[in-house]
Amino acid sequence: MSILAVSDTSPIHRLNPVTKLVFAFSVTVCGFAHTSALWPLALLLLVLLPAIVYAGALRRFTQLLALFSAPVVVALFLVQGFFYPGAERVIAALGPARLSYEGLIFAAQTALHIMVLVASFLFLLLTTSPSRLMSAMTQRGMSPKIVYVISAALQIGPAFAARAQRILQAQQAHGLVIRGLRGRVRALVPLAGPLILGAFTEIGDRAAAMETRAFGVTRRPTSLSGPLPDSTGQRVARAVMILCAAAAVAVNVWGVIR
Amino acid sequence: MIEFKDFTFTYPTGRPAPALRSITMTVRPGTICGVVGADGSGKTTLAAVVSGVSPHLTGGEFSGSVEVCGRPVAGTPMAELATSVGLVRQDPFSQISGARFTVREELAFGLENLAVERDVMRHRVEHVMADVGLSELADRSPYELSGGQQQRLAIGSVLAMRPAVIVLDEPTSQLDAEGSRRVFGILDALKERGVAVLVMEHRLELLARSADQVVVLEDGAVAADGPTREVLGDPRLPEWGVGPLQYTTAARRAAEHGLWDESRPLPVTLETAADGFHQVTHRIPIPAGDQP
Amino acid sequence: MILSIDSLTYAYANGTPALNGVTFQVAAGERVAVVGSNGAGKSTLARHLVGIERPTSGTVEVEGRRTDELSIAELARSVGFVFQNPHDQLHARTVAKAVEFGPRNLGFTAEQRARACEWALRVTGLTHHAQDHPHHLSFGQRKRVALASVLAMDTPLVVLDEPTTGQDHRSLALLGSLLGELAEEGRTVIAVTHDMEFCVQHFERVIVLERGRVRWDGTVEQWLAADATALPADGSRDDAAERSGPPTDLERPQLTRLARELGWSAPVATVDAFLSELRERTPSVPAN
Repeated sequence: MSILAVSDTSPIHRLNPVTKLVFAFSVTVCGFAHTSALWPLALLLLVLLPAIVYAGALRRFTQLLALFSAPVVVALFLVQGFFYPGAERVIAALGPARLSYEGLIFAAQTALHIMVLVASFLFLLLTTSPSRLMSAMTQRGMSPKIVYVISAALQIGPAFAARAQRILQAQQAHGLVIRGLRGRVRALVPLAGPLILGAFTEIGDRAAAMETRAFGVTRRPTSLSGPLPDSTGQRVARAVMILCAAAAVAVNVWGVIR
Repeated sequence: MIEFKDFTFTYPTGRPAPALRSITMTVRPGTICGVVGADGSGKTTLAAVVSGVSPHLTGGEFSGSVEVCGRPVAGTPMAELATSVGLVRQDPFSQISGARFTVREELAFGLENLAVERDVMRHRVEHVMADVGLSELADRSPYELSGGQQQRLAIGSVLAMRPAVIVLDEPTSQLDAEGSRRVFGILDALKERGVAVLVMEHRLELLARSADQVVVLEDGAVAADGPTREVLGDPRLPEWGVGPLQYTTAARRAAEHGLWDESRPLPVTLETAADGFHQVTHRIPIPAGDQP
Repeated sequence: MILSIDSLTYAYANGTPALNGVTFQVAAGERVAVVGSNGAGKSTLARHLVGIERPTSGTVEVEGRRTDELSIAELARSVGFVFQNPHDQLHARTVAKAVEFGPRNLGFTAEQRARACEWALRVTGLTHHAQDHPHHLSFGQRKRVALASVLAMDTPLVVLDEPTTGQDHRSLALLGSLLGELAEEGRTVIAVTHDMEFCVQHFERVIVLERGRVRWDGTVEQWLAADATALPADGSRDDAAERSGPPTDLERPQLTRLARELGWSAPVATVDAFLSELRERTPSVPAN
């Protein structure tokens, strides 16, 4: 299962990838600009959610958002909720752990900020074909090497998971009993070394594959997909979003120095 | 053109013995040279050396020289070598660039790097895709393909770049008979276009049909180098760790019983074997002068 | 029956069918080659035997037990599965340790373990490499380590996925004698392969898969004798197959093709069979 978008199913999918990249970036910056919980909540519900619904990717979005943010959110509520330093309004106490009002508020704020970050980039990934994003970046003059590092990073997760899966299958076929998540972790931990080593070998192989395909011979490679669709509207939108992000940062900095 | 002159190569780690010893051989433009040999005889190293993977990426000590299209491999940066020599490695999975997300884009990757015009590139990519039989999978991720499909993708990726020299290390290991014949059909076409082809291949029948020259490697050294029919029919093949063709074995065993005209060379193709045995079963007299 | 497959159908997550109503049985001690072109469904079928894939519908039973009701580890007592690619399974510091992994999991005693491993290393020709690191071996050798690691588990059924890839002349000879040894022990061997020479030399029964269906099932001799164009026709050829052109003819072994080219009717595949046929067809052999 891949989180990467492939098809052009909505006008949002067809937007210039850079527009969506700027959008994701600006929304994240805005989200972090104010400590209040209401501000990221508003961004989530009033900006990101409508965009995702319009793109028709709500289902995958909700699943993936839950998958990626749940561990962080749970950890935040446990740690901050119970162990918030200097808490005064204690709701319940369990030995040294004291569930406090301040802790819960702080946990909620932080969780919402992180969710805005995750949601923005999920929006980008779910609505943008990765190769188009890569060629958009190359066309805007970004170094092919940096673009490569980003695209490889997008793929290394799935490749790593597939490899771990194959090893687990082979071990089970050799009679190793693996039950539940703990069993999987216990089976894979002794293999962390070989897995990482394997990842390095693979990176070496990829490097060789790139070189034998003339990677880096010219500073300005051509592109199969050709120039990507762009419009004055999108250019203006990008400028506005960048201004919003800058304004958010300015407000934040001003708030701090004042 | 590939030219080895007294080339010896030793990997930096592992066994201290050289992986290749005093290799001297030439592959001319417009010819197909097959390389056979047992496991560990140095076939893969030979491929790596021609493409520059060794010593550029693996490191290692060498003496003598390897030149590809007149350029010394050791002294030319790999990405630059890639403009004249294409390498199809044994493990197709390790050959996916990882930089592109669909089969079509993967095929175009090398051309993008060479800054080939977009229209030319599109045309060439579609053409190559049809040649290697991947058109139906154009929009699939390279990682999702089967081993055989990845092998065809690896071949296509290199073909698209139209190198003057192409090296293929066991290109049919995961392909069925039909797929293998198709690959060799492509090699035949490359030969017509003047490409120098070096192919490591254990299915001798494919080499017997297509190769002009066959080199046998044994323990890193050239044990035999000559015209295909001569080398593949050589009775010492098993000593070098290479299984002879069934046609050849059958004829040699038949000859022991006087059932093969010994003035005929041992057959390496279906056609020559059929001719020879037809002569025996129909008792067509063996020319007097040739009788022992 | 050590293996019984009934109406096995399997579709990938995206709905593409890989296996379509596969039915056959294998008796204990049989040597069966499952052959077919790339994409015929051979590997998918093999992965069902060890429980890595689960049927979409239909059943696979090994020693009378349904594979979809057992875990892979439980099945491993009955089925030894040698993966096509050895890269992802050998994560031990030495060959000996890799081979010992399975017997250890299955709870062999130290003595049983030692005996099983010694035998497995010997028959795969790896005794001298027992203390080597698997990564320092060649691809062909690593493939044999994977094989040894499965043989040491002493399972009644051994399934090999493309055992001949990357094997040179000597390793192939070794593999051949190994199959003979397994047969003598009465172990059942099923190999998935597209190497027809290997198939006719070492197996007694051939199952041809084509587009996820069993196209042919019979003895090697019958298969050799059958003309490609007359291949069965068991009425199961589906419309999809019709639409995408004629069935792929698997390449026959060299000597089978040679015998046909010579117009011989008898099925021939090995050098010995070819020579005896040749002798019969050459009326009077010149007296040396």
